[in-house]
Amino acid sequence: MKLRKDLTNTFVCDFESAARRSLKERLNYSFIHTYKPVLDDPPYFRSFRTISEYRRWAEKKLPAWLGYGKKI
Amino acid sequence: MAKRFDYRQAIELAKVFKKHNVKYLFIGKSGAIILGYPDTTQDVDIFPEKTPENCKKIVSALLELKFPLTKTEQEEILKGKDFVQIRTGPFDIDLVFAPDGIESFNDAISRSVEVEGLPVCSINDIIKSKEAAKRVRDKESLPRLKAFRDWLLKR
Repeated sequence: MKLRKDLTNTFVCDFESAARRSLKERLNYSFIHTYKPVLDDPPYFRSFRTISEYRRWAEKKLPAWLGYGKKI
Repeated sequence: MAKRFDYRQAIELAKVFKKHNVKYLFIGKSGAIILGYPDTTQDVDIFPEKTPENCKKIVSALLELKFPLTKTEQEEILKGKDFVQIRTGPFDIDLVFAPDGIESFNDAISRSVEVEGLPVCSINDIIKSKEAAKRVRDKESLPRLKAFRDWLLKR
């Protein structure tokens, strides 16, 4: 999929702007928290034998709008 | 309860992982952000080498970073699971031992970069992994991530 030129130009402005910020600034501003149903609920430790098993769990258990599945 | 990850914690993680000789790479959007990609994310994704030895070192390192892992939780990491999600520590972390689209840790590390002491997957590997995962959230972010890759490679 080819991006529209105006979109690409906007992206490049973002990238150049970010490049002027230090790693410290970028990390301090990039990690935010918003509550995500199920993921931010107990249990707070989850492990899966395979990535496929995790993907199936995510598709089954997480609200579709979180985007962890293959379609909304 | 989710906690925010910040620069100080990134440096601390790298310091403690190095002390314990953990073999790992930052991956996912957190990896892309370290490479310079302007975006937001909620947790840290780490791609560690999946060996019994490395898993033991990860457990030791996480305990030193004050992750309150129970004996059972430590066993789960030592068992060699492909994906471990921890939300009980000073920050949220996912241990992704077998990310989609990446053949092996050794291949990834040969292509990796280091940013101020933080070892990160190459932007191409981050993109490959997201393409292979085929999730809606990744499909949405891929065009911008690819534009970033193209811009980064031209620099």
